[in-house]
Amino acid sequence: MTGLKLSNVRKTYGVLEVIKDVSLEVKPKEFVVFVGPSGCGKSTLLRMIAGLEKITAGDLEIGGKRMNEVEPSKRGIAMVFQSYALYPHLTVRENMGFALRFAGVPKNEIIKQVDAAAQTLELGALMDRRPGELSGGQRQRVAIGRAIVRKPEVFLFDEPLSNLDAELRVHMRIELARLHKSLAATVIYVTHDQVEAMTLADKIVVMRNGLISQVGSPLDVYDNPDNMFVAGFIGSPKINFIKGVVDGVSKSGLTVVLPGYQDAKVTFATKNSSVPVGDSVTVGLRPQHFNTTGKMKFKLNVELVEHLGGESFVYAGNGSGDLITVATQEGRGLKSGQKFDAHIDPAKALLFDANGQRVR
Amino acid sequence: MVYTLLSIAAFVSVFPFLWLIVGATNISSDILSGKTTPGHALFDNIVKLTQQVDLVQLFYNSTKIAVISTILTLIVASLAGYGFEIFKSKFSERVFAGLLAMLSVPFAALMIPLFVTMAQLHLINTHTAVILPTVASIFVIFYFRQASKSFPMELRDAARVDGLREWQIFLFVYMPVMRSTYAAATIITFMASWNNYLWPLIVLQTNEMKTITLAVASLLSAYVPDYGVVMVATTLATLPTLLIFFILQRQFVQGLLGSLK
Repeated sequence: MTGLKLSNVRKTYGVLEVIKDVSLEVKPKEFVVFVGPSGCGKSTLLRMIAGLEKITAGDLEIGGKRMNEVEPSKRGIAMVFQSYALYPHLTVRENMGFALRFAGVPKNEIIKQVDAAAQTLELGALMDRRPGELSGGQRQRVAIGRAIVRKPEVFLFDEPLSNLDAELRVHMRIELARLHKSLAATVIYVTHDQVEAMTLADKIVVMRNGLISQVGSPLDVYDNPDNMFVAGFIGSPKINFIKGVVDGVSKSGLTVVLPGYQDAKVTFATKNSSVPVGDSVTVGLRPQHFNTTGKMKFKLNVELVEHLGGESFVYAGNGSGDLITVATQEGRGLKSGQKFDAHIDPAKALLFDANGQRVR
Repeated sequence: MVYTLLSIAAFVSVFPFLWLIVGATNISSDILSGKTTPGHALFDNIVKLTQQVDLVQLFYNSTKIAVISTILTLIVASLAGYGFEIFKSKFSERVFAGLLAMLSVPFAALMIPLFVTMAQLHLINTHTAVILPTVASIFVIFYFRQASKSFPMELRDAARVDGLREWQIFLFVYMPVMRSTYAAATIITFMASWNNYLWPLIVLQTNEMKTITLAVASLLSAYVPDYGVVMVATTLATLPTLLIFFILQRQFVQGLLGSLK
């Protein structure tokens, strides 16, 4: 298996720049997930790697070779599309062997390779059916099988699970993770679903407006987001953002006043105290970090409770209109209108400056 | 109420066919007197028809023209429709708008320039002269372009990743996937070609070259037309188009509803 490198890659349509100076290195056998909101450029970047979109500027290297002008079929990639893109007039067997047929591979060899991939994906009983006679999950497996048969250096997945129902999505997610292990393949996977990103990835690439916001391991991106966008995008339920103003700067950290919460003052330990007194900051609090003992306390009124069985999501406010989301395992008895004290350890809080960049 | 209206509409649609078939079995005077029940003159009418025209030659001419015209039209129009939809650019959109504008030009305005062109190419009184002007049918190009909108772009992308060249994508992916569209276009084009009257009348000048449609019309131009013979000729002339329609009926309906599900 081989790696991949993007150097200062750009894509423009006329005057519109959709990919702005992206550089990234994907190591061999790595499972990299491009994640971001709709329109952030993740699918365009994947299509540029596949050769389906021209690269306006910059270099793409696969296995150390520059691939900018190389045809898609000669880049050593295989792609699985969102809609599966199976040829509706061909059987599963013909679909899986289609690329090999046009590559001039002898018939016997095609049969051998297709059967081997079918066995890996347990498609044996479906080989003579057409895509129209398959369920969503089966079609997905055939699409993956079609990719495997080509024995690519890099697998590209473009939101492959988004057309499946929730249960099947979880099942296919596990199958994909297993497949990655067994094939030991380099995978680039595009999704807007951060749960898919967190569960599948070795490395997450968070994208926004054609730029990479952050690259890191799933837990790194979750625990140490570089900016408010990444903090807000990764994590479910979404992180709480509370506006504050710097009241004091000392060696021990920043003291922040929270005007929306009875001017409560909280000191956050930070090495970087470059934010001057009087500047606006945003405090980020993960719903899962609330507990019953933390030093930072919010007196709230419960507005809505979502019971998920194992835990509950409490949406509570202090009358100002802003809601704080708290994930708790002790929320079964909570009801709308009830008073509720949410505690959190200030050490768990994330702090962002007025530009949304991480301070601590 | 709805069923009554539908029944009336169905009767109005079917009656001319029934009358045509019934008329083919009657003698001319019975037809003119408004007889609508089957008679016993079918065989006599067929014999009279074969005495007046060379049926085999007429069917051969019509079939040759319709088949070649349909094949060429489908090739040209599907390539053009696919091209206009897949390889969009400002220039191609302008060309397409120009083509659509051509639809509003009546054939009467094109007849003389077309005739002069054919004469200069020494194609008068040839079947090529009948076929050539029909090949780049703007309506069929438009039809294929609209149908191509339902062709999933991801299939083209998948084919490119699978190593197919553009012509292979057209031949091995687009054509089989859009077969309902081709079936509908086949019926439309074949019928238009088979029933074409005015242009063949202008360019075909000898009996050996004429089509069945021209022959039927010439039967009517006799001093005292034999309507029984005309009805038999018309019935026979209708059969191939009916046959094509019944063979491709299912795909025709699918093609009109949308090629892909």
